Amino acid sequence: MSVYAKPLSADIVSRTDNTMVLSMGPQHPSTHGVLQIVLEIDSENVVKADPEIGYLHTGIEKTAEGLFWTQAQTAIERMDYLAPESNSLCYALAVERLLGITDRIPPRAQVVRVLIAELTRIASHCVWLGTHGIDLGAISVFFYCFDLRENILDFQEAAGGARMHPNYVRIGGLNGDLPDGSLPRLDALIAKFPGRMRELRGLLQANPIFQDRTIDVGYLSPDDAIQYGVTGPSLRGSGVAYDVRRAYPYCGYETYDFDVPTRVEGDAYARFLVRLDEMEQSMRIVEQARRRLDTPGPVMIDDTKVALPPKETIALSMEALIHHFKVISEGFRVPPGDVYQSVEGPRGELGYYIVSNGDNRPYRVRTRPPSLYNLQALKCIAPGNLIADLVVMIGSLDPVFGEVDR
Amino acid sequence: MPSTQNPPIAGAAVDPPSVRPALDDAAIERVAPAELRARLEALKSDGYAMLLDLGAVDYLSRKPRFDVVYHLLKLAPKPAPVAEVGRPARVRVLCGIDEGDRLPSVMDLWKSADWAEREVFDLFGIVFEGHIDLRRIQMPHDWVGYPLRKDYPMRGPARERSPRPAFAGKSNVVAGTPPSGRTFEALQEEVKRARES
Repeated sequence: MSVYAKPLSADIVSRTDNTMVLSMGPQHPSTHGVLQIVLEIDSENVVKADPEIGYLHTGIEKTAEGLFWTQAQTAIERMDYLAPESNSLCYALAVERLLGITDRIPPRAQVVRVLIAELTRIASHCVWLGTHGIDLGAISVFFYCFDLRENILDFQEAAGGARMHPNYVRIGGLNGDLPDGSLPRLDALIAKFPGRMRELRGLLQANPIFQDRTIDVGYLSPDDAIQYGVTGPSLRGSGVAYDVRRAYPYCGYETYDFDVPTRVEGDAYARFLVRLDEMEQSMRIVEQARRRLDTPGPVMIDDTKVALPPKETIALSMEALIHHFKVISEGFRVPPGDVYQSVEGPRGELGYYIVSNGDNRPYRVRTRPPSLYNLQALKCIAPGNLIADLVVMIGSLDPVFGEVDR
Repeated sequence: MPSTQNPPIAGAAVDPPSVRPALDDAAIERVAPAELRARLEALKSDGYAMLLDLGAVDYLSRKPRFDVVYHLLKLAPKPAPVAEVGRPARVRVLCGIDEGDRLPSVMDLWKSADWAEREVFDLFGIVFEGHIDLRRIQMPHDWVGYPLRKDYPMRGPARERSPRPAFAGKSNVVAGTPPSGRTFEALQEEVKRARES
């Protein structure tokens, strides 16, 4: 067979006679990436749905094994391209545990990490909300969302130097302190946010068309959600209040005051509400982090075996020059061991299981991608619904294919 | 599959999980393949309702060669307020397995194991006994080899270069036998054969 075609799943092959098989995707615009769903349908009703993934497999985990510990972070950041900094943060936290330097990360760096992680969550939810709206025919929501996201990306660009993949969070701290003028920019963003949220809610939340399309669509029971390993807003939309920020706090999340929004309905509308509430809670955390930013301090660990020495010392100190050369040319060695670290990404529990054999490159980086497990639940929620509602269900699970396929 | 250009990555001489235990807050257990299924069933009935992740690591030079790693999370399988979900527990079960050996599937215990086991099969070649639909998931279905194994070259197996005939048909190419010795007609024949096969 010259055409690339995957064999069908066993239970779809054994279908009965009055149904037909329809392939949706991988080029379908509302699948948010390259997702193919092999559907078994009875007229317009979905009998079975089998998502086929792997069209975007780029072997990031394999690539990471050939790079230095710091270089691997740039590759890993590209998994979840809508929330790159949550990947970076999780990886950095895991490597810091292996290095045994978790307690020595400067407090200011931890505050900025929380700030960036929450801004990333809002930016990611903006993309989700905009595209979810478009899927259901509400075009203008997209523009409001991307306007808000643009402000966050501007902030990220000022801090890290790039809009999409700033690689701002580094092992041992941050790439650099927030630049001059970023705090007024942040204040402006905080001031703008409530009004923009009111507009977004006004556009969709009470919109009868939106409600008709999402209420009671894609019901996911809490038992099924746990069985399928669903985490994040999709799990909390089914009533299970599991949030990694609460259960296993990192970066000092236990010192911030925030709620974990939970709904018990378990349908697409509940997941929509949970994510909207989560954006507001994220902004609450951002405000608290903003207040802690007034005190200056270092943002990188004071250990030149891991972190680059400050630029101004390189011209004056021979040790600094040697350390700079060593870290750049051969990286640093990480003591052998294995560690599992997870953070609450915008899509759920993002985890890294990292094994080191004492070398200057990671031996194995296994990702626990929240999108992969969330998307798998589509097999459970799709049957019994209309094909048209499949688009709503995919949107409400919010998969990112860079992360599903890696 | 041997490669001329990309040497395989050297294997680890040590078994890292046994060197430094407990860097995170998960309880770590190591079980033999024969006891794996019973142990996981016991953990499931103990309240570990979610299989967070299932992955594998290839310790090339070690016996047994692979470690299959199960991450379990204890969660109440019902709607519960934050205070009750409170502080769940994690456990990590490691199971050493040699090349060619099989592990029991846990797909019937946790449905999340479905794609995870397919991925481990796809990228490491570890077969899970009892999985109803063990197909490749990330790589093309007719792929040869298991990419995440340590003896698999980083840039993939060496491949034949595909013939590039386009230049030969251009008018500014002097007619006659090119320096490579292959004529335009010969190249076209080659392409035709490649397309047909």
